[in-house]
Amino acid sequence: MLDVALVSLIEDLIDKAGADGVIEFWQRVGENLANRIGKEAYMGWTSFNVAVREGRTAYSIEGDVTPLTDMAIADVDGDVVGYIYAMKQCCYFPTAMRVRYTVGRLSGADLAVAREYNENFHNIAWCNFCVFHERFREEVAMNIAVAGNPLECLLLATRGFDGETRISSKNLAKININHEHIRALLRNYECVYALLMRGARLKEE
Amino acid sequence: MDSMEHGRVIDSNPFVDIATHLFLEDLASKVGVAGLNNYLISLANNLAASMPEEEYETWDEFLDALKNGHSILSSFEDVHAVTKHCVVTRRSPFERGWREYAKRVGAFSKVHREVAEYYNAKAKSTAVNSLHIILHTFRSAASKRIQVGGKPLRYEQIGTVWVDGERNVVGDDRLPGMMKRAGISKTRLGMLLRNNADVWVLTAE
Repeated sequence: MLDVALVSLIEDLIDKAGADGVIEFWQRVGENLANRIGKEAYMGWTSFNVAVREGRTAYSIEGDVTPLTDMAIADVDGDVVGYIYAMKQCCYFPTAMRVRYTVGRLSGADLAVAREYNENFHNIAWCNFCVFHERFREEVAMNIAVAGNPLECLLLATRGFDGETRISSKNLAKININHEHIRALLRNYECVYALLMRGARLKEE
Repeated sequence: MDSMEHGRVIDSNPFVDIATHLFLEDLASKVGVAGLNNYLISLANNLAASMPEEEYETWDEFLDALKNGHSILSSFEDVHAVTKHCVVTRRSPFERGWREYAKRVGAFSKVHREVAEYYNAKAKSTAVNSLHIILHTFRSAASKRIQVGGKPLRYEQIGTVWVDGERNVVGDDRLPGMMKRAGISKTRLGMLLRNNADVWVLTAE
């Protein structure tokens, strides 16, 4: 029931701190969680991707993550410096449905936080939990080393349960991946992100 | 138990529960134990207030709704009536979230226990940790939204057992009266506390 109660908590927090205050709060919680999980190291991308499949990485707390090993990210020398990862189901979807079947409808507060985030931070959120999620992943990436290099996480695209999709043009540009490739992924996945070696010199378009 | 916290409702993603735990810990660091207690109480009251009121002609009709998960009192829990007035919750609705927290984050922050002690001292209840404050307050507020035969429902908590087996039972001054209203003996209570998460009483005032 904690997840359903969270919805009324968000309503109450908006009253007290405003939608921007809720965003700050969520981001801090995302950082705290990532840092409490701690550091991880992998010998290379193969071992990291196996760990992702087996649910052994810090990202596994979110649920099932699929490493899309056919979508490698290469640097200027053609070396693989990252991959794209995707979740079939948004972590928040079960909560949205639980709210629907216990309270009756999802709170407008949820949307208000997402709207504030989209307007002032990154136009990628479809619910308030995306705010927490994006920061959590960014912090986790810094705590994971692959072949000795810390990672960077770029949230690429999301699909809400109403079917609305959001694609991050700024992050796609960084890894030189076409919108259409991501759009195709969104037919199967609800959340798509890239993990790559921090500071990698990427090919420019 | 990795499958269902509740046979009728979609499972939540424990990641959302963990995020909420950390959210509450963050809050406690700002407002202290008393502030967190007040917050949890208002959170549970808000949740109950957001759910629809109910009315039943007879006690049997209400018990059927409760057992089948149609009442707001059984929206989040797998509830069983062992007598006409004694109700048990088989598994804590917070079990999955707590287990995932222990697995991914580590030991439960002590603030969850401290706030429960504060709450018990104030409300004479049997909370073991912060999550029970939400659960007990929710049940109390939700029961006031239910009328059986024209009379409002009254909820009392007899005992709580946490996932690790730690239990808290109401004081000896109140226990005999509650057991009488529940229609159970002390031996029966011991049996119920062994294999359930909560033992509570519902009566029409």
